[in-house]
Amino acid sequence: MKLITATPWGVYSVWWRHFQVYRSTWLVNCLPPISEPIVYLLAFGYGLTPLIGDVEYLGQMIPYSRFLAPGMIAIGVLFQSFFEGAYSSFIRLNFQKTWQALLTAPLSYTDVFLGDWFWAATKGSIAGTLTGLVAVIANLYDLPSLVLSLPLIVLGSLLFGAFGLLVAGAVNKVDQVNVPIFLVIIPMFTLCGTYFPRDTLPPLLARFASFLPLASLVDLLRWPLGLPPWWPLLLLWLIGWMVVMARLAALRIYPRLFS
Amino acid sequence: MSGALSLTAYDLWKTYGDEAVVQGISFTLAPGEIVGLLGPNGAGKTTTVGMLFGTVIPTKGFVQFGPWQLPGQGQLARAQMGIVTQEDNLDPDFTVFDNLTHFAHHYRITGAAARQRAGELLALVNLEHRADAQVDDLSGGMKRRLVLARALLNEPKIVFLDEPTTGLDPDARQDFWRLVQHLKANGCGILLTTHYMDEAQRLCDRLLLLQAGKVIDEGTPADLVARVIGREVAEVEGVGAERLKALADRHGAWYRAFGGGHLVTLPDGEPEAVWSQIEAYHPSRLLRRPANLEDVFLRLTGSVLE
Repeated sequence: MKLITATPWGVYSVWWRHFQVYRSTWLVNCLPPISEPIVYLLAFGYGLTPLIGDVEYLGQMIPYSRFLAPGMIAIGVLFQSFFEGAYSSFIRLNFQKTWQALLTAPLSYTDVFLGDWFWAATKGSIAGTLTGLVAVIANLYDLPSLVLSLPLIVLGSLLFGAFGLLVAGAVNKVDQVNVPIFLVIIPMFTLCGTYFPRDTLPPLLARFASFLPLASLVDLLRWPLGLPPWWPLLLLWLIGWMVVMARLAALRIYPRLFS
Repeated sequence: MSGALSLTAYDLWKTYGDEAVVQGISFTLAPGEIVGLLGPNGAGKTTTVGMLFGTVIPTKGFVQFGPWQLPGQGQLARAQMGIVTQEDNLDPDFTVFDNLTHFAHHYRITGAAARQRAGELLALVNLEHRADAQVDDLSGGMKRRLVLARALLNEPKIVFLDEPTTGLDPDARQDFWRLVQHLKANGCGILLTTHYMDEAQRLCDRLLLLQAGKVIDEGTPADLVARVIGREVAEVEGVGAERLKALADRHGAWYRAFGGGHLVTLPDGEPEAVWSQIEAYHPSRLLRRPANLEDVFLRLTGSVLE
C-alpha cells in the first residue's frame, strides 16, 4: 500500500456521506444507545443493587449502580463502534460497493478508510455519550466528569471501530462476523470489569480480562471513583491497540479494492 | 483545470501470479474521441480500464492523463474523470436526486450548486421525473443512466464506460448511446469497453481488439472490416467444407466453419463470381450480407464475441 494520501475534505466527505444516511433515520438510530443503557441500568442497577449493595473498588465501597454506570458507557462505545465497523462497513464494501463507488471520485483509499473509521468512531462516541447522559440523569455519573471523559469515549470508539473494520476486511461472509463477536466481543463485554470488579475472577482469568482493551477503557472511565496508579499505562495500552488495529484493518481492506 | 486533456496508456501490463491478463497495451485517447476496447469476456478490458483510473495497479507501464501520471496521482486525475463501472454501485440509502447531490460533495460541489447540477444531469439523462424515487425502484436502464449522470457531476474531460449497456433492452441501449454521442459532441474523450459488436461499430471512432490481454488489431470500425474481411460475406449451409475450401483457395477468399454451416468472404474484386458458384452448389441456406466486426473477430481470433 504505497499510495497513502489523504485530504481533510476527502475524509470529511466520506464521513459526511455516512452521516447523511444516519441523519435520514436518526430517530431509529438514536434508539439503541438510549434504550439499551436504560434497560441495563434498570435491570442490573435496580435489580442487583439490593442484592449486592456496595462493591469494593480500589479499596473503597461504592454503590453497585455507580460502579455499573461507567461499564455501561464502555459497552455502548464497544457495541456501536464495533458493529458499525464490522457489519456496516462489510455491507458497504461487499454488497453496496460503496467503497468502490467512492474510489471513482477524487478520493484516495486513505480518505475512504479514514472516513469509514471515523464514522464508526462517531457512532461509538454518540452511544457512549448518550449512555453517559442517561447515567447523569440517573445521578450515577456527574456531568462534568462525563465531559472530561469524552476523550476516553472517542479513544475507545476509535479502537473498537478499527477492530470492526479489521473484521470487515478479514471475513468473506457476513455470518463470519459472528466469530469475533463470540470469541472476543462477548468475553470482553462480560469479563472486563463492566458488571463486576475483575478481582472476583480467578487470578488467571482476571489477568486475561485485564489484557483485553475494554478493561483499560472501563478502568479509565471509572476515574471519578479512583484510578489505579498505573493509569497512564492503560492509556498507552489503548492507544497501542488502536494503532495496531487500524493498521491491520487498512492492510486487510486494501487488497479487496486494489489489485 | 479547463481545456481538453488527452490520456495515453504506455505499455500496460498486469499479471496475477503467473497469469498475464493484460500484456503491453498502449494507446492514446484524444478529446472528443470515442475509443472502444472490444473483446470477449476475460479479454482484459475491465482490468485495463481499472489501470486507466487507478484501482488496478499496473505490473508494468503507466498512464499519463494531462499533467498527472497514474497510478501515483489517481486521486488528482479522477477529479477530471467520469467513471461508469461495470457493477452497479449506486447508493441504495439515498433517493435518485440525493445520489447525485451527495456524490457531488466529494467534488466539493455543495448546497445550491450541487442541487442545480443534479437537476441538470437528471434532465440530461431523462430521469427528472424519478428524482424522488429510491434507487432500487429504477429499471436497469434507468440505473445505468443515473450512474452516467453521477459520472458527469464534475464535467469530466474524459469518461470511462465499462460495459455500460450489458443487460439492457434495445430501447435502453439506444437511450444510452444517445447520451454517449452527446458527450462526444461536447468534446469529452470516451473510452468504451464492450463485447457488443453493434455498439462498437455504432459509437466508436477507433477500436482496439483485445484477446487474452493483447491488442490483436486496431483501427476504425470501417477500416478493420474492410482490411480484414472485405465488403461482403456469405453464410452458407448444406455445402461440404471441401468444396468451399477449394472455392476459397481459387479466389483468395477466406472461409470458416460457423454455426451449422460456413462463412465465406466475397472478395471485393470478384464478389459475383464467388457468389454465383456458391449458389450453384444449391446450399440449404444462403445469406449474403455486409461484413461486420463479428467476422473480423472471428477471422483474427478464431472465436466469436460473447
